[in-house]
This record gives sequence, structure tokens and C-alpha cells, in this order.
Amino acid sequence: MFIDIDCSQMKKYNQNAYGDYFVSKRYPDEARLIAVLSDGLGSGIKANILSCMTATMLLRFIESQQISIRHAAEIIMNSLPVCQIRHISYSTFSAIDVNDDGHAKIVEEGNPEFIWIRNNEVLQPEFEIIQSKTFKNRKMKIYKIDLKLGDRLIFCSDGVTQSGLGGKRLKLGLRRDGLIVLLKDKLAEHPDISSSELSHYIVNQAKNIETDRNPKDDISACVLYFREPREALIFTGPPYHQSKDAEYARLFDKFKGKKAICGGTTANLISRELNKPITMDNTISIGKLPSCSYMDGVDLVTEGILTLTKTLEYLESGTTDIDNAAGKLVNFLLDSDCINFMVGAKLNQAHYDPALPVEIEIRKNIIKKMADVLQNKYFKKVSIQYM
Amino acid sequence: MDKKVNVKVCLGTTCFVMGSANLQELIELVPKKYGDRVDVSGVPCLGLCSIDWEFSKAPYVKVNDDVVKEATVEKVLAAIESHLK
Repeated sequence: MFIDIDCSQMKKYNQNAYGDYFVSKRYPDEARLIAVLSDGLGSGIKANILSCMTATMLLRFIESQQISIRHAAEIIMNSLPVCQIRHISYSTFSAIDVNDDGHAKIVEEGNPEFIWIRNNEVLQPEFEIIQSKTFKNRKMKIYKIDLKLGDRLIFCSDGVTQSGLGGKRLKLGLRRDGLIVLLKDKLAEHPDISSSELSHYIVNQAKNIETDRNPKDDISACVLYFREPREALIFTGPPYHQSKDAEYARLFDKFKGKKAICGGTTANLISRELNKPITMDNTISIGKLPSCSYMDGVDLVTEGILTLTKTLEYLESGTTDIDNAAGKLVNFLLDSDCINFMVGAKLNQAHYDPALPVEIEIRKNIIKKMADVLQNKYFKKVSIQYM
Repeated sequence: MDKKVNVKVCLGTTCFVMGSANLQELIELVPKKYGDRVDVSGVPCLGLCSIDWEFSKAPYVKVNDDVVKEATVEKVLAAIESHLK
């Protein structure tokens, strides 16, 4: 199963920093994902620092694997200081440690209970309560659940469940029940909605309920969606040994999922080996990049290094909806969950001619950087095979 | 005489940075001038830069089977003219 995860946030009205903090990390080698959402006391910079510290510390604790998530959360719960004025703890948190088979461990301290949706029904998982040894009013819930394909988990900060509090329509705010109604309606309408869209939807709805649409607290919604992964393959660069061309071209041909070729020589190689003609756009360049070409059975064919360099730039800055080859490649990548790169190690000496007006990066380096961005910023699963 | 001329502009990385991006106007200019007697299109890569050890002769354009080195709009048009004769 693939875990589609995303979090949307909104700041409290008139604040310039987020008081909730979300971190998540994928561990492709262990087929594991950890995510933490923390809500810091108060709002603005102070809350931002508190929640950021709590969330990142908890993530580090859990990922170290020397102690269990339960133990890690307990340590944090027992050691979080108490605000001297308000006498409540400095931050609350929810954390999940889940693997690709759907085995999940969840801890919650102070945040609203997460919502588990299967077939548009809310499930009520069993939990264990652990009382803090140092603070009487603190306790955390521990869940061990098994998720199935199609399940969704929704974590949110109290900014969501308390949105609209004190208003005319919802005196007690949206509350968990209100959120469940919203979610069920949305899911009935769009059963395949992505985590990114659903989390945006929750946050926007919460904002719209607030009086004058000014959030009274930081609002965060984190959604996990367990679904079949969308696989993609990017073939770039000719193999180091030309004798292996046919073999790699066959691998490319057999791949089930979306396919892209980045590189003129590479496209010619695949065309030759698979006997599929290439046709081109009736333009030479769009923007500052060579235009795309087309091959039967391949979703995208672009030029190599220049397009990849530009794509990396767009991914890093978060630019989408650009109408050129790199923009198309960005969409191609973001519409996939598991991205496989087949990277040819052959160098074209002409690319390193000092007379070239622009610097041409080494393919391997660009792909390495791109893999990093895709993993860390867009939470994709990435694998690279050199050939 | 009804000769057909095929013009292929290399859009590989080397050719593109060396100036084939500037050959864009051929796409509009040539049909206006020669109608459908000449066909201009881009190709992903002609594979010439990695063979020609003088490298810096990019951008390359192929007019039928003749290679135009360090191609400019003028050079390509001249090559087309000689093929149409």
C-alpha cells in the first residue's frame, strides 16, 4: 500500500507564524512512515517554537528505534513543562508510526482524537490510556490499528474542532461530530480525493465557519490515505555499456505504470531498440526549453539535462502549472507516488566543452538532488537505478 | 521538378544551448517561402555532437542527408536553396 500524506495549515488571525507544527518522514528502506502534529500553547512565534521542538524531538525519538513510540511519547509527556500563568502544558501532540502493510501505532496527548474512515464509516478503535507520572492532568492514548486499502486517517489540531466557537450558528464550535459530517459528505462526493485536496478542504471549511472568516486559533489538518501506489519510471541517459541498451530498453518497455524519457539520445535509443517512431511538436522551444516529442506507449518525452535542471528548480521552489517541458515533467512527477529513475552513466563529452554558453550539470547529480526534493518535500517514494 | 526537402533541427542539449533555440523562426519562415516542398521539424537528437570530435560545431541541422554545422537561419536557407535546384 502507498500512504498518501499531506497536511494543510492556517495561521491564527493577525499572527505571522504558525502555532501548529507538522513533520513527517518516509523511510523507504524500512517501508515506514512517521508523522507528528503538535500544537503549541498560545499562538505566534512562541507557539511555533514550542510545537516545532515537540514535533521534531518526538520524530527523532521514534525514528531512532532504540525505544518504542509509546516510550518516546511518554518521555515527552512527562517532561513537557507547564505554563506558569495558564497552568497547562506547553504543547500537545499526535504521532503515528505506520508501515506499508498498514500496521500503525498512534499516540495522542491533548490533541483531538483522530478520525479513522473506512468505506465512508467512522471506526472506533480501542485504545489504552497512560497516565503521566509527573502531571496529574496529563494522559495519553495509545492505539494499535491495522489499516486496509482505501482507509483514511485524519488528524487535526483543536483549531479545526473548535472553529466557529462562540458564533451564532455553532455555539460549541464545529466539534468532532461536525467534522465527521463534513468529511463524509466530501468523501461521498469524491471517493478518490487526494490527501492534499482533503486537508485543504478541511482547513478552508474550518476557516469559513469562523466569525468573519478570521481563524481564532491555528488550524491544521493532516490526512493519510492508504491506496494503491501510482508507479512512474523515468529513463534518462544512455547506459554506460552500449551492449546493455537492448536489455534496459526492454525493462523500460515492460514497466507497468507511467513512463517518461528525458534525453534526446535516450529517446533515440529507446526508439531504435523498441522500434517505435518519435514524432515532435511543431515547435522548437517553449519558453527556454526544447519542446517535447512523442512516442507510442510513453507518457512524456523531453530533452535531458536542461529540462531536468529546470524541473529541479521548479520542484524546489514549488512552482507548478508552467507550460513547458519541465512543467509537464513536474506534473508527471507530482501525479505519481513511487518514482523510479533509470539513470544512464554515459557522459557526452560535448556537454563539457568550455565553449558552451551555459553550465551543464552531471546527470547523476541532478537526479540525486531531485530524489531528495521529491522525498523530503513531496513525500514521494523514490528509487534510483544506475545503468 | 518536384523535389521534397526534409529539414531536421537537432534539439539535443548541446545543440539547444549552442543556438538551435534561435532556429525557431525556420518553422514559420520556411512554409511561407517554400510551401509544402520543404518540411521542417525538430528531432530529439541527431547524435552528432558526441561523434564529431571538434564538438563546438553545434548546433547541427540536417537538410536531407547533408549536415549543416554551426547552423544559422541563413545557412539553413542556403542549404535548402541548393537542394531545391
